[in-house]
This record gives sequence, structure tokens and C-alpha cells, in this order.
Amino acid sequence: MTRTTGAHRERTARQFRGLMFSSLLRADFTVLLRSGQTLILNVAVPILYLVITNLHSASRRGGSIYGSPEFAIGLALTVGLMFSALMGYSVAIARDRDMGVFQRLRVTPAPTWAIMASRFVVQLAVGFAMAVIVVVVGGILHSVVYDPVEYLLFALVSVLGGAMFLAIGQAIVGLVSSFAVVNAISRGICIALLLLGLLGSSGILGDAVRSVADWTPVGALINLSVGALNPSAWDWTATSGLIATLGYAIVGVSIGIRWFRWESH
Amino acid sequence: MPQSVLAVRRLVVAYGDRLAVDGVSFDVQPSEIFGLLGPNGAGKTSTLSAVEGLLRPRSGSVTVGGVDVQRDSGRAKALIGAQLQASSFQPELTIEEIVRLYAGLYGVPLSRRDVLGRIRYIGLGDQAGKRFKSLSGGQQQRLSLLIAVIHRPILLLLDEPTAGLDPQSRRQLWDRIEQLRADGSSIVLTTHSMEEAQSVCSRVAIIDRGRLLALDTPAGLIRQHRDDPRVRQAAYGEITLEDVFIGLTGSAIRD
Repeated sequence: MTRTTGAHRERTARQFRGLMFSSLLRADFTVLLRSGQTLILNVAVPILYLVITNLHSASRRGGSIYGSPEFAIGLALTVGLMFSALMGYSVAIARDRDMGVFQRLRVTPAPTWAIMASRFVVQLAVGFAMAVIVVVVGGILHSVVYDPVEYLLFALVSVLGGAMFLAIGQAIVGLVSSFAVVNAISRGICIALLLLGLLGSSGILGDAVRSVADWTPVGALINLSVGALNPSAWDWTATSGLIATLGYAIVGVSIGIRWFRWESH
Repeated sequence: MPQSVLAVRRLVVAYGDRLAVDGVSFDVQPSEIFGLLGPNGAGKTSTLSAVEGLLRPRSGSVTVGGVDVQRDSGRAKALIGAQLQASSFQPELTIEEIVRLYAGLYGVPLSRRDVLGRIRYIGLGDQAGKRFKSLSGGQQQRLSLLIAVIHRPILLLLDEPTAGLDPQSRRQLWDRIEQLRADGSSIVLTTHSMEEAQSVCSRVAIIDRGRLLALDTPAGLIRQHRDDPRVRQAAYGEITLEDVFIGLTGSAIRD
């Protein structure tokens, strides 16, 4: 009898957790998909990068501007993930905290980890979908066909890269409480990372800057993506990209959880 | 004597070195409307936040329906409904989506028909597809209250529920609150309107600078303090709850 009651209670608790988490996921997906800016940052910007790099590639007749199609696809993925995490996720978290959305959610029985995990999961899923679009469109534009293993590795890289940029975004909202300041810092970091990673990794600014840029989040993820799309040529650059990406993700999450405040006041 | 729905014992809440709540204790009984009164910065919202489990008190305890809010936060929150002063809903969601989300968070499985039925019940049937921000102040309060009671809590916490409402919306809200009380919920509310507190609250607690100054029925407080010189000085005619409040907390403006 006791065992039956216990099992029933456990089943009820499981159903409750399932309903709670599915409700959060549904709401967070709706919010994300309803935000025009997110769709632009997540899909339109990476596709635009692919088209631009392809046009340059055609005009130069010697491959894309910064080398291989893998570089162009890796760059498009990186830009999409970075913009959606730093300008989408972190700004949305700061805004919701400022408006008291989190305060309202926190008085419900939903654990705080679930409130945040739901947003992470939704962002990662959208990042994953973007990665699929990018690799397919990139492959078509650059006339490259990848095998299933390469697709799989690229998909894993997109999840890892998404986690890294989300962790950096989480660290920003952990360290800064004001919505306006989070907004400004996120944009500033986005531009700085993009310029350093893009120009540095391309080699335009010389080898010294390139070796520094390879260890930035943008440079690391581009190198990791290139390695995933061409695993037979996996080298130390791709390995260092993997190490840096994991490192940024771990450090960002640690800071973002340790210092995060649910209220801005 | 029935078990208290809410028991607050020697509650201490501090922000760094500053004590916001300093040893406050009180009980709320079943089907009681309990008013928490105090000037700005007195510690009302901090007390409610500790009851809601939003902040960890430095010491003391809070139990709701016998469940310790600190030890078993999830279970305690399932017994509480809260309408907060500075809170909002995701601006991208429609009213229907907000109700569905919060029903899910409280573990109440509602079909679309149920959700729309509840929205119709609060008079927002034709607004179900609209966003929260597009509602008037009174409509927003009605929706907030609907969500606060969607899981039939035993304790309802209302932080300045009538602030910014016109008289019609205020009257409607009090009718609804009275109905919830009649249905068995206990209600704790903060308000700056002493007239409202005097007319609707079963008992009121006056707190200032984090300390509990007085606790009784409105009539009891007036009776106890009618001869207090500070209260007599604050009164213009017949002693009211507001005179008692001003007499006990002072007339200096708090920011």
C-alpha cells in the first residue's frame, strides 16, 4: 500500500515536472520565434555572410576570400551563434530581469534552474537549426558535398559553439545588472570579437595577431568548424579551437551562475 | 485553534549591513484578510519576498500550511499565489499563452477551452489574443490575479494590489478578493490606503524600520491607541486607522 502510494506520488511528481518544463519550453520558443530580431540574427545574417563570401569567391576565381568553403561556413555559423547569443539571449535576459519577468516566474514552484535551462535549450535548438541551414546553403553556394560524419560533427560543433556564446552572454548578465549597460557591452563585445576573430584568423594582420585571434571565441569556433567539416585534415589548430571553445563555455557558465542576480535592483 | 495558514517567526532580512526586517513575527489564520501596513522602506515587500521564497532570510522561519518555505521551497510555493508589485509577463506572449504557461508552472493541466473560459470569466474574453502590455491597468490586475489563483492557493499574497487603479477597477478587485476569502483562501496584502485596510482587513500589522509596531483588528488598534498623544495629534476628528498609523510611524515623508 505504502509502495503504491509512493509510486503514485512519484508518477504525479514526474507528470508535474513534465508539464512545468514543457510549458516553459513552449513559452520560450514562442517568445524567440516571435522576435523578428532573433530570426534575422540567427538565420538571415549567416546566410548573408555565405552569399557575400560566395560572390567574392566567384569574383576572385581562387576560392572564397579567406580560403576554403569550410572557413566561410564556419564563419557564418560563428557569426549567427554569436549575434543570437550576445545580442539576443543576454539582452533578453537583462530585459526580463529589469521588467520583473523572472520575479514573476520565481514565485511559481518551477525551480530556478529550469527557468534558465529552458531558455538555454531553446537557444541551442534554434542555433542547431541555423547550423543545418548554414551547412546546407553553404554547401550549395560553394558547390561542396559533405558526408554524414562531417554533417554530424558540424552539428555537434554548432551545439558546442552555441553553448560557448550563451555562456559568454550569461557571464555578461551575471556581472552587469543594468539592462542598458548589458545591451551596450554585448554589442561592443560582439563587434570586438568579430573584428579580432575575423581579421585575425584571416591572416591579414600578420601571424602574431592570427595566433592570438585563433584563441578568441570567434577564431576558435571558426577553426573548430573547419576541422569538423574536414576531419581528415584535423590538426592542432582545430584541437586548440576545441580546447578554447570548451574553456570559454566552462568559464562563462561558472561566472554567469556564480554572479547572476535574479533582480536588477 | 486551527493551524495557521502562514506563520512568520522572528524573521530577519538583511541587505548587507542594513536590516530590512528585524525580528518580525505574526500568524495568518484561515479565511483571514491580513493587512501589512508601513511607510515606504518599512520592510513590507522584504517580508512578502521572504514569504514567497524570493530571498533567503538571515534568520527566523516562515511556514505556509505547515511547510517550511526555506526547506521545501517548491511545495511551499505551490500553496501560495502571489501578485507582485514590480513584476511582469513576457511581452511577446498573448494573454492566452500567459495563462497556459502559468497553469503549467503550477501543475494545472488546462485545455484551450479551459484557458479561454478562465479568461472570459475575468471579462477579457475578447482580449485573449492580445499582449499583456496592450491591457489597461485594471485589466492587467485582473489577469495577474487570475494567474495568482490559477492553482487555488491556500495563501494569496498581494503587494499593493490597488495601486494606480480607478475606483471602478478597485471596487471590482475588492469584490474578487472578498470572494476568494469566502472560498477559503487567506490573503496577505500590503497597501498604502488606510481606508481600504480599515474596511477590508480582518487584522492589520503596522511595521516600520523593519520592526512590528502593532498588530490587531483595525477597530482594536484604534481602541488601543486612541489615547496615545501622538495619535491624537495626528487626528482631525474621529480617530481612524490612518491616525493610528501616522501616530505610530511619524509624519516625516519616506522616499
